[in-house]
Amino acid sequence: MIKTLGRLGRPIAFGACLALTLPSAAELTRLDDESLSAVSGQGGIYLSGDISINEMGGPVENRYFGRCEDTTKKCGARFAYRLKETGGWMVLDDIRGNFAFEGLTLRVRHIDSGFGGDGELFDRDVLELGLPDIVRFNDVRFKIAASNTPRPTDPGFQQTDIFSVQMRGAVIMEGNLLVFPEGNP
Amino acid sequence: MHVCARNKPTPRLLCLVALMPMTAGAEMKSLDDQALAGISGQSGITLELDLQMEADRLSYFDDGQGIHLEGFRVGSASDPSEQAFHLVRVDITDDAALNLDYLVEDRRIEFGDIRLAGAPGLSMGGLYFDHSLEGRLSIRAGGATGGSGYTFDSAYTMTGGRLGYRTNGNEVFLDDITLNVEALGVTLDVVGDTLQLEAPHTVGTYEIGAIRYSNNPLNHGRSRDIVSGAELPSYGGLSGAFDITASTSLSAGGRAGEGLRIDNETVINSAHFLYIDDGRALALRDITGYYRVNDLRLDVTSDWHGRAALGLTLGSLEGEFAVGDIQLGGAGRSLGGVNVSFLLEDQVFNGRTYSNAVYLQGGGHPDAGAQGLRLATEWSLRLADLSYVDDGNRVIFSGLQSWGRGDVTVNVTRDETRNGTRFYDGLRIGFEGVEAGYRINGLRVGDEEAPLQGGTELLLALGFYPAYEFTLDGHVTLGAGGASGEGITINSDIRIRDGRAALIAAPYDEGGGEIAQKGLWISDLNYNAHIRDMTVDVSDDGLEMVAAESWSTMDVGNLRVGDKATGSSFGRFVVQTYETGSSMTIVPGGAGDVCVGGAGTSAASCSGAGGVWEQRGDEGITIGMKQILARAVDDTRKNSFAWETNRQPGGDGGLINGSGTRLVLNDIYTSDGGDFDNDGVDDNTFGIRTDLAVDVYQTRVVKKSDGPDSLGVPGARGDEKIMDASAAAGYRYESSPSAADLENRPLGFAVRAQSRFKELSINNVDLVHPVGGPQTVVYGVKMQNFDIKANLTATPIP
Repeated sequence: MIKTLGRLGRPIAFGACLALTLPSAAELTRLDDESLSAVSGQGGIYLSGDISINEMGGPVENRYFGRCEDTTKKCGARFAYRLKETGGWMVLDDIRGNFAFEGLTLRVRHIDSGFGGDGELFDRDVLELGLPDIVRFNDVRFKIAASNTPRPTDPGFQQTDIFSVQMRGAVIMEGNLLVFPEGNP
Repeated sequence: MHVCARNKPTPRLLCLVALMPMTAGAEMKSLDDQALAGISGQSGITLELDLQMEADRLSYFDDGQGIHLEGFRVGSASDPSEQAFHLVRVDITDDAALNLDYLVEDRRIEFGDIRLAGAPGLSMGGLYFDHSLEGRLSIRAGGATGGSGYTFDSAYTMTGGRLGYRTNGNEVFLDDITLNVEALGVTLDVVGDTLQLEAPHTVGTYEIGAIRYSNNPLNHGRSRDIVSGAELPSYGGLSGAFDITASTSLSAGGRAGEGLRIDNETVINSAHFLYIDDGRALALRDITGYYRVNDLRLDVTSDWHGRAALGLTLGSLEGEFAVGDIQLGGAGRSLGGVNVSFLLEDQVFNGRTYSNAVYLQGGGHPDAGAQGLRLATEWSLRLADLSYVDDGNRVIFSGLQSWGRGDVTVNVTRDETRNGTRFYDGLRIGFEGVEAGYRINGLRVGDEEAPLQGGTELLLALGFYPAYEFTLDGHVTLGAGGASGEGITINSDIRIRDGRAALIAAPYDEGGGEIAQKGLWISDLNYNAHIRDMTVDVSDDGLEMVAAESWSTMDVGNLRVGDKATGSSFGRFVVQTYETGSSMTIVPGGAGDVCVGGAGTSAASCSGAGGVWEQRGDEGITIGMKQILARAVDDTRKNSFAWETNRQPGGDGGLINGSGTRLVLNDIYTSDGGDFDNDGVDDNTFGIRTDLAVDVYQTRVVKKSDGPDSLGVPGARGDEKIMDASAAAGYRYESSPSAADLENRPLGFAVRAQSRFKELSINNVDLVHPVGGPQTVVYGVKMQNFDIKANLTATPIP
């Protein structure tokens, strides 16, 4: 972590630091407390909640999209883009799922100490995203596909599903994401 | 100072005065029985007048500077060539009280122009007041401090009232006013050099049938257009009631030399206020509070630019108001309650002393015509607390300060382009170089004594920045009539320069005095916003706003972290919006019963699905939005997003916009996903539909690290924050909170959100090099069939 922040002190266009304080890394916890003691100002918010995408289906109902209880149609969201003017479309199709988190924090923080001495040299304000300890994913799924048209209802529509992704479980996300500008704005 | 009246060369003052002993004549029926019941004895005189009076000018002079009330007239309201009928019965009762029973029918009092002697070419516009009055005034010797003063009892009813403001042939007026007032035991005393007026108990009710607008110069104080006969459009009506106690002092002497000083303290014992649109109301109920005016001075003087003006300068104004219940819509559902305490007083902001003053001048917008009102205004809100109560849960936005200085113009305008400026039907409120700002110190939950916390960012959910400084130009024109019937139609063009707004803000005072406010700032902001024909109506559900067309450009010169002026920058961001037919509905009531983290319609089914069942109550607010993002029309009317970095330095030390490298998301638009009406263009009626239900509610907050937190409160990682008034910091941490502890979880904003769209497209994503020009990297993005739901709780960081 200390080395990571030191590298971020060098000029780069955009700086971001993900500080992962894993349970086994006791010394990283001590550094975090030390740096916290230098915090001035108590602005910021603490967010908890859950977010779901197309839990029961989306607003479109046609020959391609439908409600989730209709197994003949897709009820997830669809995201398509193309990188060539006359090329085909890359597609994330049938996007669904939900995830929940507790304790995502957002604030501006001044770092002028800690981090093994790097903080004193750093001496700047950063945007701190305090990561939630656990993010729980439930039935998150989508398909990677290739299509010849952006809409599945366009004439001559053809699509090849390449592979599917499904996620369920919990991700441990500890520490802080520090975001700060670098380089010439 | 002195006052004079100058009549026309051939003054027409027609007074028919009849003095006659009181008899049981037929005309005496116009005095009601109630009035007669308070009179003892049967002696007295009756004065009957048919009055028409005109004067070219009434003037008031203060230290040699004058203000003229021109075109003064008293006469009939319905027919300018006729007189107004007056009947006054004078009686002295056996307690030596003088009783006046009066009846006034169809009277108009009018000033055609109000001008300042120092600016004779400019007029503030004209005022007129129509009314019929019936009432009683009793005067007896002896005031509050002894025998040298007077005591008054007064009660009257005003009917058929009309109060209008007219500029350049257009007018806005309160129509069909009914007012009932009873003021008993009012005393008037001279105390030293001060005239002291005490009104211990004044009660009343009022009703304004409609607030109307006319753009026909032939109309003057008429409810219907004189040409078409159609009822003039209405903004809606008002009604209410009040019970107040007031104390007022008047003394001679202005802020400089001659003038008038006013001090006042008023207690609102109870009141309510209703805005009524086609029978549906926005109601402020259970209003209580007080305000105290200290050292208000009235002078005919000059403003800070040396312009002749009628100056109102204020020493201080403090007060507190509570609205127990805000109801909205046909069903009268509640949004909750609000409370505000405030102190307006001189204060230094950003190194400059601001005071509270309004300098009234003639003219208005220079292109709108000779008549109008210009208010050179300065304000200094030294401190205010604003709280919102939702189902008994109270959140206080503490330490609100605001300051500003600039010109506000007021004109009644019509739909036309005049002298090169576009005007719209309605009451135009213009802003010229208004340099202003506000900031909020922090959040308190529960009561004013609770510790100050961060979290003002929660206001972003309601569309407010926690801190904002700007220079404002432009106008908002409020037209009469909504989408149907009564209501308001808004056209506006607003430009903000040199803006600095906080997305995240730390306190400006942590207890040891003012400090530089740290945050995430959109600074060097230039923002242009335009709205066309946005209707505002109270509906059965709530408040509905529909905009025919709106577009804006938000050019953030620098997104800074840390200090608003010197913090390091992420670069420049430009956001353009262009919407047609977008709408917003504000509905009383929040999320109600919610299953957070699961799916269920009852506590049992929610718990079974792994969720947490929350009953957020009946109050709260729900905002429903439909945003129709239209396809690009030109470079100013489109939806786009650009991020620019690596700009070249300019000669003034700043950075030259457009000289760096840009990432541009160009022409973002919504669609229904096809051309279903076969008009050759994709349908675009669904847009992005977002529903936000916002409640103030308790939520679970856990400590994220071991050891003391930023306020020194000890706890271990995973411990839950519990509010405790007996704890030094107002809270403590518990590893295993009891059932009682769970009742004292921290309050925050609970937001249930759902956002849906059928299709959202980006035409192209370009990288723009200052020399090489644009290169397209993505030839189209199309997102379809999205339905995103979220249950979020936001609280201050523990």
